[in-house]
Amino acid sequence: MKRKKIIRVLIVLVVAGALIGVGAGLYMFFMPQRNVQNLPVDFQVTASDLTEEFLNDITRANQKYLSADGESKILEVTGKVSRISENFNGEKVVLLKDDDDKAGVSATFTHDTNQAVNELEPGDVVTIKGVIRSGAYYDQDLDMFVNVTVEKSDIINL
Amino acid sequence: MKSKSLRNPGNYGNFFLRVMPVNSYYGTLLRSINILVVLIVFSGLYASAQDDARLVSEKSHIRFFSSTPAEDIEAHNYSATSTINTGNGNVAFSVPMQGFEFDKRLMQRHFNQERFLDTQQFPTARLVGTITNLDAIDFSSNGKYDAIIEGELTIKGVTNKISEKGTVTVNGNRVTAESVFDVTLADYGVEFTSGRPASNIAGTIEVTVHAEYQPQ
Repeated sequence: MKRKKIIRVLIVLVVAGALIGVGAGLYMFFMPQRNVQNLPVDFQVTASDLTEEFLNDITRANQKYLSADGESKILEVTGKVSRISENFNGEKVVLLKDDDDKAGVSATFTHDTNQAVNELEPGDVVTIKGVIRSGAYYDQDLDMFVNVTVEKSDIINL
Repeated sequence: MKSKSLRNPGNYGNFFLRVMPVNSYYGTLLRSINILVVLIVFSGLYASAQDDARLVSEKSHIRFFSSTPAEDIEAHNYSATSTINTGNGNVAFSVPMQGFEFDKRLMQRHFNQERFLDTQQFPTARLVGTITNLDAIDFSSNGKYDAIIEGELTIKGVTNKISEKGTVTVNGNRVTAESVFDVTLADYGVEFTSGRPASNIAGTIEVTVHAEYQPQ
């Protein structure tokens, strides 16, 4: 009688454990992408300071802002709107760049946040929240400065 | 007369004016034509200087596609920067690797990790090359041209020689370039011998590039 009870408890435990394991595996596999706009901000910077940091020491800046699993730092970047365009995915792209700066911050919006860009005009000073994808540097082969890229952007303050 | 025109071969106006009465209607007409010719020659020079101009693309789409019996995986990137020098045919691409987006978050994380593409250490992939059949492409005339690019592709800090085919489409000021080519991951130090990555990720990835250029 007692032994039967123990076996029953063990079976329940093993089945529960297996279910949790499979559940965790499925969750990992189908884990949704991060919602950048709902995550806390890691750094608040100006477009000028951020590009300067990369142009001064790209290795150090890469270590500071880029994560090894590709889920890099969430930034709030403030700067002057220099250009507004659209990418091949139908997402708005806002370039924050002061007239005197060599490079700027190229912020790509999403289909959900595109609407916010309609209020923007070149010359506006704006704060944009997004995730950094790559830093600024001078590219010898392109013979130009490449901008910092930020994606999943939205406007925080206009 | 002959020696004089030889000494001053470019001055056709004077030559004609010598033949024509100086104050005649035709003389004035020829002088105008003379100015016109100079203008046309200069605008031609200007146009060829334009042809030498650099085309810059900050609007592009790069797609990775991996196909195995287990599953198909694709990733998209819209953040690359590229230039074409229409004078010497030089082409360059800089691709921010963390800009590749997958359907599944887990795959995207694996893609970025050290044992795969190590994007923290190597944040950009690069293609530097030359259009070898530049003569076959007229950047000043609308049309679709076949292009051959030879150069070097650098992924994860490893550089390999490449030679790929593509097309260049000229439509007024707008130039678009397209190419589909294969990249063998092992050539760039990305190799899986066992487990899920080995069975689910193809050894050779199809890369599709589409870039739109503007003169600058």
